[in-house]
Amino acid sequence: MVDTLFIGLSLGSILLLVALGLTITYGAMGVINMAHGEMVMIGAYTTVLSGIYLGANLLVAMPIAFVISAGLGWAIEKVLVRRLYGRLIDTLLATWGVALVLQQAVRLEFGLSFLGIHVEGLGPGLQNVDVPDFLRGTITILGTEVNGYRAFIILVTVVMTAVTWLIMNRTPIGMQVRAVMRNRSMAAACGIDVARVNALTFAYGSGLAGIAGVMMSGFKTVFPDMGAPMVVDGFMVVVVGGVGSLLGAVAASGLLGEINGLVAAVTNDILARAVVFGTVIVVIVLMPRGLFSFKGR
Amino acid sequence: MTLPRSVTIAAYASFVAALMLLPLVVSDPFWLNRFAKYCVYGILGVSIALSWGYAGVLNLGQGLFFGLGAYMIAMSLKLASATSLQQGSTTPLPDFMLWNSEPGAVTDLCCINKGSFLWIPFQWQWFGVAMGLALPTLVAGILGAVIFRKRIAGVFVSIITLALVLLVRLVLIDAQPITNGFNGLTDLGWFTVAGFEFDPYVTPTYYLVAVSLSVVLIGARLLVETRAGLILQAIRDDENRARYLGFDVPAYQIFFFCVSALIAGFAGMLYVLAAEFASPTFMDLTFSITMVVWAAVGGRSSILGACIGAMLINTIEASMSESATFMEAWKVVIGLMFILVVLYLPRGIAGVVKDGIGRLLGRRAVAAAPVVAAGE
Repeated sequence: MVDTLFIGLSLGSILLLVALGLTITYGAMGVINMAHGEMVMIGAYTTVLSGIYLGANLLVAMPIAFVISAGLGWAIEKVLVRRLYGRLIDTLLATWGVALVLQQAVRLEFGLSFLGIHVEGLGPGLQNVDVPDFLRGTITILGTEVNGYRAFIILVTVVMTAVTWLIMNRTPIGMQVRAVMRNRSMAAACGIDVARVNALTFAYGSGLAGIAGVMMSGFKTVFPDMGAPMVVDGFMVVVVGGVGSLLGAVAASGLLGEINGLVAAVTNDILARAVVFGTVIVVIVLMPRGLFSFKGR
Repeated sequence: MTLPRSVTIAAYASFVAALMLLPLVVSDPFWLNRFAKYCVYGILGVSIALSWGYAGVLNLGQGLFFGLGAYMIAMSLKLASATSLQQGSTTPLPDFMLWNSEPGAVTDLCCINKGSFLWIPFQWQWFGVAMGLALPTLVAGILGAVIFRKRIAGVFVSIITLALVLLVRLVLIDAQPITNGFNGLTDLGWFTVAGFEFDPYVTPTYYLVAVSLSVVLIGARLLVETRAGLILQAIRDDENRARYLGFDVPAYQIFFFCVSALIAGFAGMLYVLAAEFASPTFMDLTFSITMVVWAAVGGRSSILGACIGAMLINTIEASMSESATFMEAWKVVIGLMFILVVLYLPRGIAGVVKDGIGRLLGRRAVAAAPVVAAGE
């Protein structure tokens, strides 16, 4: 029983890691970023590439992936997203376009494959990342042997969630973000540079996705299309939890992760995912504002 | 809308004429079959424009209705295929059921496995046709009743529809003994009407699809001009005002949601006739979003525009797919095109054309029709 719950917890923590960035971008900025999954993908490829060219392991890749995907997110906000504020569905469509372009950029090796140049670690094929030795094997928690890497993922998720909570609730910039979340125009009237806050928030959300990608690369195959299902899962967590609520995202990912783990233990993985989707539908229908929602103005 | 009616009629008439005359230009059966598929995509474009453009409901799970329609007719056609008829039992039996059957199972549709009895009525092709139309409509009716009566709107509708299509896709894959799972239904027989077999690679099949497209196109256009259609647009523009004016808002939304689903299911059936397979990929996330892309590029609030957008993108895509690298590069083009259309042409190709015609007619540019903000 403990091991089943643990698997559910680790599934939930992966969901949370992906959803954390979305909670911020969607909740704070009203942007549905379909390219979020591609940020995860880029984070995973960063791990692959830094493994090949820098000989660096997963831990070293984390800050690199954060910087790269945050920078990319910042650029996307500057070029595209800022023209679309207030047009929620249009942000969904446009960032879907971005997602396609990013997938193809990796698949075509940034266009180099047209010139017959092959970059090792990119391209349409599958990539694998080796988990560092000290994360391999199992550790014992509550008398049950659990996978060390899964435990590590849970740890990273807890840390990232705590850091995000601290930034949002204990720093000046976090206060500005929350002000923008509550009321964009009022925040602007109070002298907050909304454009700057937006760009930083988007970059931070994307950076979190990058870190999620690094973690993902340790136990999943890395390939250009890996991000698309993740963004869907992430959105479901955000919507079920309540838009813009960090606590809601934690609760929702825990809930969905455990449901997934428990149903999978009884039946199979496919049905487990189907039950998760069913739960999402029921929650949205019964509580359209999500489990935890704050009142925006 | 603001263009003279004669221009609209001319546009629709010339489109339909082009559809009808196409076989005179394209005689290669392979390409004719391809165009039949694109006509099916055109029908999907119409269904998206109806729900997105006119009802303001962005359905990210239109593939559900398409897939349901496709599977229903495919079940009938599967039973009509030569292999199913030659399994040595009194009833036709799909080959995959036989491969997966437990040793000693009765080789009959009634009881070869637990769910196989569901297939029995599909021995009659018209049952498959009826189900292909009825099931998507019914599902949309139930879904719409829940969503719209509870006043769920905007992006939440999109998420629910998205979750539902992915859910059904998984269930379909999981129900391997009766749906053949990931592999879908292949090796189908031909659709037969009064002894005439619709071989996918002959002109009559093209005409079946093309005429269907024309009927759906004109039917949808006339439907949005009815009183109900006008009220629907009023609801799209201001739901609360329509409600205060005393209209039963959910009733109109549910009705048009069902019509849109019916059209998508119909498209799914025609696709099976032309492509000869049904697979869970119809319910992939990508396919449902791709349909929305077509409609957005063609013009989300124009029925003809969305239809042409769907056909145009697919035709270009087909000519690109000669080489694998081109195909990959084409996806980049699609992605970029999508970004640019959202940024600069929110009304799509149809918007540009309307403005152009408006200028030609010496009028002031057609007053910008409100960009449909399906969200918020």
